Amino acid sequence: MPRLRTLLPYLLLVVGLVLFPLVASTNLVNIGVYVLIFTVAAVGLSLLMGLAGQVSLGQAAFFAVGAYTQAILVTKHGWSMLAALPVAVAAAMLLALLVGVPLLRLRGHFLALATLGLGIIVTVVVRELDYTGGTSGIFGIPKPEFGGRVYNTPAEFFWLLAPVVVLSIALAQKLTHSRIGRALGAVNDSEVAAECLGVDTSGLRLRVFVLAAGYAGLAGVFYAHWLAVVSPEAANFPLSVSFLLMVVLGGLGTVWGALTGAILVETLDEGMRTLIPQIIPGASGEVQLLGFGVVLVLVIILVPGGLAQLWSALVRRFRGTRADPGVAEDAPAALGEELDDLLAQADVPERGSPILQVRGLTKRYGGVVALSEVDLDVHAGEIVALIGPNGAGKTTAFNIITGVMGPTEGSVTVRGQEVQGRRPHVVAALGATRTFQNLQVFRSSTVRGNVMVARHLRSRAGLVPGMLGLDLAEERRTRREADRVLTATGLAAHADRPITALSFGQQRQVEVARALALAPSLLLLDEPMAGLSSGERDHLGEMLRRVRGAGIAVLLVEHDVAAVMALADRIVVLDDGVRIAEGTPAEIRRDPAVIAAYLGSDEDDDAVVHTRSGPAREGDQR
Amino acid sequence: MRRTAGPHTSGPAAARRTLVALAAALALTASGCAEETADPGAGGDGATGSAGGGDESGPVKMGVVLDITGAGASLGVAERETIELLAEQVNDEGGIGGRELEVIIEDNQSTEDGAAKATNKLLTTDEVHILLGASRTGPSLAMRPLAEQAEIPMISLAANQKIVDGSEWVFKTAQNDRVVLEKMVDDMAAKGYTKVAVARDASGFGEGIPEMLTEIGSDAGIEVTAVEKFAPDATDFTAQMVNVRDANPDAVLIWGIPPAAALAQKAYVQLGIDKPVYQSHGIGNQVFLDEAGESAEGLLAPLGKMLVADQLPDDDPQKEVVNTFVSDYEAKWDKKPSTFAGHAYDGFWIAVNAIEEAGTDPQALRDAIEATADWPGVSGIFTMTPEDHSGLTKDALVLVEIQDGGWTIAEGADAAGSTGR
Amino acid sequence: MTDLLQLTFSGLAQGAVYGLIALGFVAIFSVREIVNLAQGEYAALAGLAAISGVAAGLPLLVVILLVVPFVVLVSVLIERVAIAPVKKMTPLVSIILTLGVSTALKAIMLLVWGPEARSLSTFPGQNFTVAGVSIRSQELWILGIAAVLGYAVVWFYEHTLHGKALRACAEQPVAARLVGISPRTATMVAFAIAGLVGAVAGVIGSPIYFASWEHGLTLGLKGFVAATLGGLVSFRVAFIGGLMLGVLENLVAGYLDSGYRDAVAFIVLVLVLVLRPQGLALRGSGVRV
Repeated sequence: MPRLRTLLPYLLLVVGLVLFPLVASTNLVNIGVYVLIFTVAAVGLSLLMGLAGQVSLGQAAFFAVGAYTQAILVTKHGWSMLAALPVAVAAAMLLALLVGVPLLRLRGHFLALATLGLGIIVTVVVRELDYTGGTSGIFGIPKPEFGGRVYNTPAEFFWLLAPVVVLSIALAQKLTHSRIGRALGAVNDSEVAAECLGVDTSGLRLRVFVLAAGYAGLAGVFYAHWLAVVSPEAANFPLSVSFLLMVVLGGLGTVWGALTGAILVETLDEGMRTLIPQIIPGASGEVQLLGFGVVLVLVIILVPGGLAQLWSALVRRFRGTRADPGVAEDAPAALGEELDDLLAQADVPERGSPILQVRGLTKRYGGVVALSEVDLDVHAGEIVALIGPNGAGKTTAFNIITGVMGPTEGSVTVRGQEVQGRRPHVVAALGATRTFQNLQVFRSSTVRGNVMVARHLRSRAGLVPGMLGLDLAEERRTRREADRVLTATGLAAHADRPITALSFGQQRQVEVARALALAPSLLLLDEPMAGLSSGERDHLGEMLRRVRGAGIAVLLVEHDVAAVMALADRIVVLDDGVRIAEGTPAEIRRDPAVIAAYLGSDEDDDAVVHTRSGPAREGDQR
Repeated sequence: MRRTAGPHTSGPAAARRTLVALAAALALTASGCAEETADPGAGGDGATGSAGGGDESGPVKMGVVLDITGAGASLGVAERETIELLAEQVNDEGGIGGRELEVIIEDNQSTEDGAAKATNKLLTTDEVHILLGASRTGPSLAMRPLAEQAEIPMISLAANQKIVDGSEWVFKTAQNDRVVLEKMVDDMAAKGYTKVAVARDASGFGEGIPEMLTEIGSDAGIEVTAVEKFAPDATDFTAQMVNVRDANPDAVLIWGIPPAAALAQKAYVQLGIDKPVYQSHGIGNQVFLDEAGESAEGLLAPLGKMLVADQLPDDDPQKEVVNTFVSDYEAKWDKKPSTFAGHAYDGFWIAVNAIEEAGTDPQALRDAIEATADWPGVSGIFTMTPEDHSGLTKDALVLVEIQDGGWTIAEGADAAGSTGR
Repeated sequence: MTDLLQLTFSGLAQGAVYGLIALGFVAIFSVREIVNLAQGEYAALAGLAAISGVAAGLPLLVVILLVVPFVVLVSVLIERVAIAPVKKMTPLVSIILTLGVSTALKAIMLLVWGPEARSLSTFPGQNFTVAGVSIRSQELWILGIAAVLGYAVVWFYEHTLHGKALRACAEQPVAARLVGISPRTATMVAFAIAGLVGAVAGVIGSPIYFASWEHGLTLGLKGFVAATLGGLVSFRVAFIGGLMLGVLENLVAGYLDSGYRDAVAFIVLVLVLVLRPQGLALRGSGVRV
């Protein structure tokens, strides 16, 4: 049944593409050709925007590079269309690689405007170079010819393009359901959590950026052959805007949206060109822009999910909601053999050897010192608790150790490698992962989906295998492993539920399960007991002991003093960013400095830390 | 990403889908080919031409591609108005040889892409018998290979000689840039100017102008001492004009179309440069006069006779044609026509006359256009030959000076260019 | 040498226009972290409206007094209609939204004023030449008015309580509330200021740089580049950045090739973003991911 449901759109698409030129007027087919060409470019952009969460206002730059390369190779060097095509696409991708490395370090607004600038630079360069034909561009690109047949009517060209479009959509769609797609989806939900599970966000973004450029370049190739001319306009801003419009209208993050978006934009374009002058007499020129502008604003305000959102709302209406399948069976949490199997995957050194060494860690925000000269060691097979009043700097220490932020001074060594200032995925690759005080689950996914992301480092399939479907066996394995983790942590019954349907305490447990799924050698838990029932607490405590038993090191921040005393082998106490005590639970309990620190604690400190790291990070991720 | 990252549909199903899609795609190509052969409308090379050409009974379809918006709007709008006016006249008088004239006007937004897009549509969808346009050189150059591939005659309304050089199917009506420069060089030589600085349109219209001026002017000892470019949609010309000034020329040639040509003129004068200015025949409309205002006073430009029709001697063979057109145009649109309207007039009638004579068979029609001889149009007296597809000599131009915000035949200039042939 | 002076001087005047527009970007970004892509349209709109006003026979001063408040009103309306209703403003959403607004504004200008570029009549004064440098009186007007307005804006934000509170709004809403500014008011004030500087830039620039419906985008982008030089948060650097950009553009156009003029800004943009991304990090946030 699900197989039919996923295949049906493709069947409809193929039938539609075959029949359309036979039933539609030539004029419509002519528009259809542009729809198909633009769809290919828009599919790439939708991957970039939906999957990688990046806005590009320069998609036309890559479109133009593809078109120009093709035009030059075909008209000046006599290459055939098929021989030139891969070179043209590669040229677009190469440009993306060159500019992507520096540009993708930027976020949000800056990337968008830098890509916009790129489009203008490309426009200016091709306009100024004689080799690219100056302002007039290159003309006389022949219509494609295969086996003596020239594809020069709209219908023929349409059919020539159709398989390209079907493949473009299918490959992109497959990518979104691969390991890479899953990781990027997670990044969109919580970049920091995905990074801490080993997802190299900037690396993946770069790959998607390059891929999107390839799509644009491919579209450019067909554009050049169909129009028979390439001019600097092809790189220009208005075209980038219409690509953006297609993706937004169709629905951000849905590959199919690119097609519906392209259809809509092109018909809107044609329609408004005739409609607006009828409504407003004397209007001439690109007045359809008025419609575009208004539509963009309305869509973003009213239906930010575009057509795809309307569609799924419609489907839900007819089928009834099936968002939450509910709990399959109320399975008691059982720490089965699965847990031991899982923990055995962890690459742990001999018990007692150092896994984490922190030396002289200092963090200053302007004049405020959050951490000062903190030393900390954690060894294989022990549970170390980090405690202290609110605002003592515990979460800051976690953030620096896991690479979420850089220290002002000091070093962090994980398994013999200094990692301070490196990105979280580097730390994760060394076997250290964490949970978060303010939950960072992947909200748009299911419980199993959350855990599968954590298997990122334990699987390999890259972008290309993911697109071509060469990752089947591995995907099956990943899914099986995720189910084992859920069984081991007593969450199996919730596997198919959306994570947001779970209670706060359950979501916390999923976060712990997710961290365990990585099979880490160092596990950092930030207040894992908060919000848990006493039964759940006992269960978690039991699980942590087994984790320790497997030789894994645990660093724990926890307010539940009783739980800490019961679990920890050693306790480190921070106050006001300074380490004031270290020792066994019994020693700490007697330490006068600790007692004084707790009694003198001030509730307001907490608020300060929150506004500093919490909301800022939120904003930063979007 | 909300919907697509869902882990429900994991590997197997998705991959199977990819494979099926692949197969489907292949099947599609095959079916596509099969359908094509079954489709009688699409028959290989030159299909569109023969499809229309074989039929000598239906309406005559004229496809027109103009720069109605964008940088060339001040040209294209007048051309559209002219074509609409003339098409109405033709159909009121019973069409061409009893066949109705159907004119399809497309806007290319002053871009090459737009021109190619529109031409593709006209050729494949509307299956026109003849193409007119575009208004400017760049878009015309983009149309040329499409017309040639479809083997449909095309008459451009733009200036650059490259549009027609070596072409079998493409003709044009605006005076060649070469004859304009010849006319200018005559005047420069007479005044003893030897150093000329050029500020030219960066698009197709201005391409090759400095080189051509050097070539034509070499006999008269005229050399080009500085070359600057400006985009047709540029609005700031300071840097270019500073360089022009520093070249310290005897005279300056600004080669562009309004509004850029007018804005360049204005910037030139604002910078306090007082060397005489020549402009091209690209400025022949009211937009230029309005925009350039006082700064245009005294500039010289070789222009078609239409703008100075009232100053022509009565025996000028073009006078009647021009006067009729001007009064028809004014009656319909309530404003004076530009020289560009004149280019459209010429293109339209050359096409209609040829169709009247030869019908709509592409080859016969092309031959008929090429056989146009001694035909008095608005822009000059046209004689097409296999070697010359633009048909005008420098006699079609008069040197015009702008005085008191209007066009005046320059004193001492050869108004007797009107002898024509 | 004369060249250099000439190009630099006329570049400064052009740059002053960029600088004013850059102030608008900073005004809005520092409150809401929105890059307002419609910023350049304000200048185009003001220029075109002023041209119509003068054509209708009104005295220049009256026209300016009408046009500037009009554009400020348009800017505030845009904030009310398009920005305020959005609950969750992300960079992606804000870019698409302001792009939509900008596109719609452009089309409206095309409908009302048609496609051609026009120029406003110059302000009173005589052009003159000093040491071989031609100085257009309008350029002096531009520099003078931009300097006064630019200084006033910088002074407002750096030296008045309300100005400081506005800037603090994004980070410390509590502090802003203390002086009686709600985030809602702050956003509206920011859009009003953006409208003001954009409108003035348009009015003073249109006599020599002309105005047309599609002019706003380029102007806006160049203003944005200038604002980026100041990390989108420094008014002072943004304005000076605008001046520098204007001069640089003119030097490139004069000494290299005028065709590359429009690329200059974006090459600067990419270089700045690549070489000094740390200067562009959001304030006070040490979080890298």
